[in-house]
Amino acid sequence: MGGAWRRHLPAIVSAALAVVVLALPLAVSDRYLLKVFMFVGLNVITVAGLAVLFGLAGQVSLGHAAFVGIGAYACGFLTARAGWPWPAAVVAAVAIAAAGGLALALPTLRLRGHYLGMATLGFSMILGIAFVEAKAITGGNDGLSGIPLPAFGALDLDPATASYLLVWGTAVLVLLLASGIVRGRPGRAMTALHGSEMGAQACGIDPIRVKVTAFTLSAALAGLSGALYALTVGFVSPTSFALETSIILLAMVVLGGTRSLAGPVLAAVLLTLLTYVDAILPGLSKEAVAFLQDWKGDIYGVVIVAVMLFAPAGIAGVARTVRTRLGGSS
Amino acid sequence: MSVLAIRQVTRTFGGLTALDGVSFDVHEGEIFSVIGPNGAGKSTLFNIVSGFDRPTGGSVAYQGRDITGVRPHALVRAGIARTFQNTQLFEELTVLDNVLVGMFPVTRAGMVSAALRLPHALREQRLATEEAQRLLRMVGLEEFASTPAADLPHGLRRLLEIARALATRPRVMLLDEPAAGLDSAETRELASLLYRVRDSGATIVVVEHDMGLVMEVSDSIVVLDRGRKIAEGPPMLIQKDPAVIEAYLGEEASDDD
Repeated sequence: MGGAWRRHLPAIVSAALAVVVLALPLAVSDRYLLKVFMFVGLNVITVAGLAVLFGLAGQVSLGHAAFVGIGAYACGFLTARAGWPWPAAVVAAVAIAAAGGLALALPTLRLRGHYLGMATLGFSMILGIAFVEAKAITGGNDGLSGIPLPAFGALDLDPATASYLLVWGTAVLVLLLASGIVRGRPGRAMTALHGSEMGAQACGIDPIRVKVTAFTLSAALAGLSGALYALTVGFVSPTSFALETSIILLAMVVLGGTRSLAGPVLAAVLLTLLTYVDAILPGLSKEAVAFLQDWKGDIYGVVIVAVMLFAPAGIAGVARTVRTRLGGSS
Repeated sequence: MSVLAIRQVTRTFGGLTALDGVSFDVHEGEIFSVIGPNGAGKSTLFNIVSGFDRPTGGSVAYQGRDITGVRPHALVRAGIARTFQNTQLFEELTVLDNVLVGMFPVTRAGMVSAALRLPHALREQRLATEEAQRLLRMVGLEEFASTPAADLPHGLRRLLEIARALATRPRVMLLDEPAAGLDSAETRELASLLYRVRDSGATIVVVEHDMGLVMEVSDSIVVLDRGRKIAEGPPMLIQKDPAVIEAYLGEEASDDD
């Protein structure tokens, strides 16, 4: 009986958390706070994909913000300029981001070593310029505005709540699907590949195929996050998808840890809230808030270095160690 | 019928010739050993047959089909599994999960069915777990099922690699020095395991230094020396072959210990 409890505990906790998260608008009346939590949800969607790419398959991307950008501009353009209904625009945006990921991964993942990291870095640089220069689509430095808020048919929700529910409803669904992948056969193949590429090949696993699949999946989820960002914020500008954003996303998966979804999700929540610390802790002095926001980039950098040095498997790794020790003593 | 046909396989690394026109046949259902002094080219040969390396010249045929240069994962799917001299386990995964990874070629669940937890994916996972547990019993590792591979006692790591290779349901098993690091009791266990694997229908090719084991289990032996085949035949004849004796005596004479 105790065993059954223990086995189902993660599922029960996850379900309870999902209910709490989706019911949050009932308890939070502050619009700004709700918007902050919505941003957390957007990052959770991207980080779920990076948790698969980095935490499972062991591949580093220094340019995932570019895929968020592709999704955001694609969805923004299709809804605001081409007049598409938002669900179709989201699907198209995800497909375009996934195609971009596939196009980048196919040539670079055939090479061994750290070429993917370099290629993603270069890719995000190129797209950073493209977002500014392709004015006909992106609106250049002025950004792309006039993206209509998604309509939910008969449901009459206030915009902040509707946006929050759209993002978190999607995030919960993404996490549910991603956990199936992580625990199932594809996730095991990725983990194996990360453990020993030769060993994985000896198990009939095609390293290139698995890495390309993981990369495409993570690009698709980044695109999804971007598409929802465009819909809920209503405005897209190129600064949101700079290298710094990619590094922040990487910091989240590094801190969150390997072979886990829960760890990176927790890290995404913590590190996103750090940016909006004024909304979470209203009592905090202006100086402290300003300090945290000014030094944000450095804090993320220190987090990455500290995790790499002291707990390379991140929060998830520490949790596993604790669990093993507790299990051993009881 | 010959299940593996090695024909004039040559492999050079820069100026060094690791294999020089080696040819032999491995027949269905036999335990076949490749022996030879250090540097004879045994591991190079294994890497070529398993697709991890390409020959400079010559060809390898499996069940009559040319497989020269086919990538390793595709060969595993075709039925050629291998273990490594330096074990290539998934250290962070449990012993059971290591074997489950080996089930990859014989299971099918993809991204979509895993994400949606479709019934056939869940059923497949359950059956794969049962099969993995059966294989762990077969090699005697069932009590370590939930141990991370990194914590497995050294002598048992090769057994786990054998179980993982068996999980791919091979027609041919290439075992690279399976007895290295085993004591005499463990080596006896290994010999009986090899017979059980062979009896389950797989052809076994072994690279091995333990002559006692080789002479006991082998149906047929090929001897390599400095990249060339110097002898081939059943254990009785190999033991008496003057070229083989000289190759090994030469090695002993040049060895420091």
